[in-house]
Amino acid sequence: MAGRSTALLTAEELARQGAVSAAVEACYEALALGDREPRIHGLLAHLMLEGDFYDQAISEATKAIEIDPDFSAAYLALGLAYDRRGGMWDQSVLVWHELSEVAPDLVTAHVQLGEAYAAATFEDEAVESWKRALELDPKEARATYNLAIASLKREGMALALPLFRQAGELDPSQDELFFSLLGVGAVPDHPIDPAKVKPTRTARLGAAGLALKADDLFAAADLVRMVLDEDPDDPEALALSAYAYLKQEAANESMACAMRSLSLDPELATALYCLGVVYARRTGLNRHAARVFIALAKRAGTQALVHVLLAESLLGLQRFEAASKAYRLGVRLDPACVRARFGLAASHLTEGRHAEAQWEIRRAAYYDTKRQGLFWRLYDEYVGAGDDE
Amino acid sequence: MSETAKPKTGTKSAAKGGGAARNAKQAAKPVAEETGPLRNQLFPIGVDYYPIDDEKASFSDWYGRDPEADFAAIAEHRISLVRLFVSWKVLEPQVGQYDADAEDRLGDLLAAAKSHDLKAIVTFFADDRLAEMNELPWAKKRDPRTDDYLIQREISLVQRLVNRFRAEGAVWAWELGNEAFFAGFESEDALQKWATALRDAIREVDSARTIILACDPETLVRESGVDARVAIDGFEYGVSHVTAPYRAYAAEGPLTYGPATYLDSFLLRAALRDIPVLADGVGIHSLEVSVAEEAAYVRTALYSALMNRASGVTLRRWRDLETEKREPYFCDPYEVLVGLNDVTGEPKPVLAEVKKFARVAARLDLRVYAPQPERAAVLVPAERYEPLPSLTGLYAPRSCLQAYTAAKEAHVPVTLAREGDELGSFMTLFIPSAARLSAPMWASLASFVQSGGSVVLSYGGGDADPALREIFGVDFLGDHGVRPVLSCRIAQPGLLGDLSAFDVRLDLPHYALVGGGMSTVVATDATGSPLLTLNQYGQGKAIFLAAPLERAIAQSDPWAAPDAVRTLLRTVYGSVARAAGAGPVIDCDEPNAEIALFQGEAGDVVFVLNHAAESVTATLTAERVVASVVDIRGGAAAEVGARAFGVPLGANAAVALRLAYG
Repeated sequence: MAGRSTALLTAEELARQGAVSAAVEACYEALALGDREPRIHGLLAHLMLEGDFYDQAISEATKAIEIDPDFSAAYLALGLAYDRRGGMWDQSVLVWHELSEVAPDLVTAHVQLGEAYAAATFEDEAVESWKRALELDPKEARATYNLAIASLKREGMALALPLFRQAGELDPSQDELFFSLLGVGAVPDHPIDPAKVKPTRTARLGAAGLALKADDLFAAADLVRMVLDEDPDDPEALALSAYAYLKQEAANESMACAMRSLSLDPELATALYCLGVVYARRTGLNRHAARVFIALAKRAGTQALVHVLLAESLLGLQRFEAASKAYRLGVRLDPACVRARFGLAASHLTEGRHAEAQWEIRRAAYYDTKRQGLFWRLYDEYVGAGDDE
Repeated sequence: MSETAKPKTGTKSAAKGGGAARNAKQAAKPVAEETGPLRNQLFPIGVDYYPIDDEKASFSDWYGRDPEADFAAIAEHRISLVRLFVSWKVLEPQVGQYDADAEDRLGDLLAAAKSHDLKAIVTFFADDRLAEMNELPWAKKRDPRTDDYLIQREISLVQRLVNRFRAEGAVWAWELGNEAFFAGFESEDALQKWATALRDAIREVDSARTIILACDPETLVRESGVDARVAIDGFEYGVSHVTAPYRAYAAEGPLTYGPATYLDSFLLRAALRDIPVLADGVGIHSLEVSVAEEAAYVRTALYSALMNRASGVTLRRWRDLETEKREPYFCDPYEVLVGLNDVTGEPKPVLAEVKKFARVAARLDLRVYAPQPERAAVLVPAERYEPLPSLTGLYAPRSCLQAYTAAKEAHVPVTLAREGDELGSFMTLFIPSAARLSAPMWASLASFVQSGGSVVLSYGGGDADPALREIFGVDFLGDHGVRPVLSCRIAQPGLLGDLSAFDVRLDLPHYALVGGGMSTVVATDATGSPLLTLNQYGQGKAIFLAAPLERAIAQSDPWAAPDAVRTLLRTVYGSVARAAGAGPVIDCDEPNAEIALFQGEAGDVVFVLNHAAESVTATLTAERVVASVVDIRGGAAAEVGARAFGVPLGANAAVALRLAYG
């Protein structure tokens, strides 16, 4: 028994480190000592899922659930394996149902259940699942994207586009784009004190960027004000102001700052971003937004999300082919960009290419669930509960 | 989606020296309906004709319908083979008691086939989930694959049927089983024993007719871990067969572009060794895709088969299975869901594609035109056959598929070889992301390169064999491990094609840290660590890629792999193969266009297949001046008078052109 525990712990450690091959070997060593431990099969299922070996993942997760029907991490692995493999929606629906009962607060289970329903053409049930997910977490971006897709199927692009935009706002990647354009690094552990920042323009702007990234709008405002007091025509400081206003839903102020910034430096990417986003939020300004994002794409063409923002504006103009190209470019640059995947799915749907749209939605789920790393949360909860008993 | 791009009449100004090609300028005359052969005798097209088309039907309804109308339609669409499935359960309801009516029914089927000039493949032991063909009430759940008594009963049944129908001219081949049946074997020995017993039993009664085992060696080893290659070698025909689980494993994604469009020919090449191979079970596996996508995919698969040395092709099912009214459909492991006609018998667009393809294939006289020999191969490492817990057996086929795709995109005539195979017929080898090669393989590689061959090997993780230093001229310093970004800086421009610097997001599982040693560093990463090296070893060249690019593409997202990485791979593959004399006779500038050249004495035939779901114009460049091109089906010849000419291709379209040289 002790030998099995040691082998299992080794496997766990290796799996957490991402050493898939070594972890699989350790799991098999543990299995050789006894194959009735659900955690080993659950770990193997997770590892096979990491390698995209879905049939093996299904087999191992099924064994784990057979041994312990309350092992939620195994349900997660099983459901994800079914979904990523494709073509097994009926089994998938059952698994996500089961998981949503075993772990009722697990938002992802409801999102995945909705996607499985949608793939099986049970649209009403799908919408209910996504709404349930949003009740649990109103900021769940993928549920909102899926509702946008459902809306597109039922009501057309005009009504779906605001939902896409809403989902985009929930998606943290848009803020990440701004900070990437700004070139700021990781947020410090301690709050930024404007009084302690070196009294130079560069230091103040750098610190203001970090403060914005840390959602410390007051510190950022103080720092930007200091720069603008010295030079009211500093385009970068104005662009930071525009972003700060944008975060506070002050669209007119943001637009004014961004336009002033661009009048001083017409190619400043951060200002282009703010202006484009403000335009995109306003009804009827898609043409303006598209122009601004085209300019931004020239300045920052390697950023996937820039092309996604452009594509969304083009969708609003009903220029589906151009939007599709921009989305494709976004996916090429960052295959894990969930927003680009859903956008591409939407443009496929407008062209009647349903299978490809379905594929993009599945890939979005693939990357989103990989990013979430839910397996370890559920696994640790399971292990913790076992220890308590 | 148009099937072919019509040849166009060109101007006479020649494009010289392989320079800028030109599109022909004058519109072509419509292709006239030819009066040539209806079918290609050396490349038969077949279809599986299942005994039951309705999920609610009983096993006893086995071929209960009149096949006349179906066979007439099959023949009308230029299909020449039908696969018929024997139901053991119906034919031998009690031990040793055979149902004469059922035997007569089989006889009637063969007679009906004959009356429409169709040939039949008679399959003895097939699982199809519905017709319960091998579920014998008297077998008491013994395994028909391994139980000696049941094997004796199988031999009796087979000999009885072969004896009765051996004089029947409509029988093209006896087939022992189907993929689903063979998936039940658990060891090579059991399969070998069963296959030999059944084959010998047939040979006792019918010494002349073709016998087929009908299992794809690659998909079977993936499904069951059983390596069927030795067993298959004892038969006259092999098959390649894309199964639903294999597609989900190797190329799960859109069917009309990317890796999925190369999977059929990849498996075909994997199955091709010393015996002819039927590209079997062509078709889609679920009803999720549209009829247009289904038609586009099947078109690609059919042309891929002809262009990659298949000896024929069989389609998955004649008619859709009428399922009970329930959703959702699921991926059917027995592959009996989707056919060429819908449940009412109405032809689907895919059937028209089959007919069009048959018309093109009929015009290719394989006694006159031979495919260009493949002098390049993707080497499948022996580690592919390692069982779990080793993951190399799972990684290797995916890496090989990506390598195969890259070679195809580089227009290199390529096939597959396996570690241990004789390498003498090749000039170039691609060894993708192999973690380990055996000592004899290293020795064989050394000899291969020393005598003038070229090899491209990408690092696959783990320790390096000492032979790496000898052959590739690099000092292995260790594995740097996982990297999220691939950077490329060119150190020697032009040495291995037109490479460009880039930084792209790509999860690399390994990165070999190497010292340049004796080799020339062609490209490095951003820190100057060699990424691509070239070493002259004896008469040949050895190229080392420090990262497992093929595996990285396969494991990340093959449908959205960064263009820069794909370009790097195909540029290196193409450059090495061309320099070694393994390049194409007809070159092409469009990566998505697959080229297959069939060479004849009076001229050549070139097939061009678009693997993209969008229109492209491929510029083909020949080694000689092409006087004229004409669609293989006939029509007006278009004058070219140049080495290069443009071929417009619709989405997933194919074209077959007869070339006359000036």
